[in-house]
Amino acid sequence: MSNCIKLYSLTNRGSLLARLTSIQAVKPRYASTTKDGYIYVNKEEPSMNLGDVTDRAAQTIFMTEMFRGFAVTLAHVFKEPATINYPFEKGPLSPRFRGEHALRRYPSGEERCIACKLCEAICPAQAITIEAEERADGSRRTTRYDIDMTKCIYCGFCQEACPVDAIVEGPNFEYSTESHEELLYNKEKLLDNGDKWESEIAANIYADHLYR
Amino acid sequence: MDELKIGTLKGIDKYGNKYYENNRFFYGRNRWIEYAPKYGTDYDASQVPAEWYGWLHYKTDLTPDKDPARPKYKWMVDHTENLSGFSGAYIPYSTTRPKIEAWVPPKSS
Repeated sequence: MSNCIKLYSLTNRGSLLARLTSIQAVKPRYASTTKDGYIYVNKEEPSMNLGDVTDRAAQTIFMTEMFRGFAVTLAHVFKEPATINYPFEKGPLSPRFRGEHALRRYPSGEERCIACKLCEAICPAQAITIEAEERADGSRRTTRYDIDMTKCIYCGFCQEACPVDAIVEGPNFEYSTESHEELLYNKEKLLDNGDKWESEIAANIYADHLYR
Repeated sequence: MDELKIGTLKGIDKYGNKYYENNRFFYGRNRWIEYAPKYGTDYDASQVPAEWYGWLHYKTDLTPDKDPARPKYKWMVDHTENLSGFSGAYIPYSTTRPKIEAWVPPKSS
């Protein structure tokens, strides 16, 4: 009670000298020791002097505590809210953000993935399944590239393992679905993601090109 | 937009969404999107196309028409919103022939 501001004080209206002595009489917070040398760490009991009790009773009766509370509430009404209005405003995101996966293409439109299976090998959740076959023109390509997005832990090892920047974790995180099946991505879905998000994926890779 | 905010129009994408900026708001609220009128009240965060995604997420200060790092290839496709729950939703299927196929008995004609 002694360290909060009193708006009403019925007692201690005496001389200045009396006030000074009362301030000096306030003990430091953690310095109160018992006779055995133990430090009393609990909250100090409120003083039960007749004067202090009268002060506390006055603050309750005149409702100064309540009006001080109302003042705090009123001040917060005029404060600018610290929340953003999603989906109209969106929060900051890093170029290294690891979201929905995508398979990229070369500028010519040829798919990058050469089915080296490094991503499948490094995936700690074993979410990637790859099957490879020789294509008609003799190049090695995947026939199956499945990612179980419900197994994926979004560690980003697949995009770090990839020697040709084919599998990347794109910036998109707004792909929640209504069923589990829709999150079992196959190769067509991943390539389609890459075609949709290439602008942003390329900008992210360019933003990080000094650190790669 | 369900809120009255004044800002400068930074650009309109090809789907009709408008992008505004007003740096008098604090960081995080100073850029916003006004979804195209064709969406009505069915606006969704996944309707932001990839070109404007980085600007709206404060990754870059360059709008897509001024950003040299954004390529334009002819194989890039139009943006689609998250179609989960609608008829266009993705349904998984196998891209290979099954390894084990059931025996089809020969028909005795």
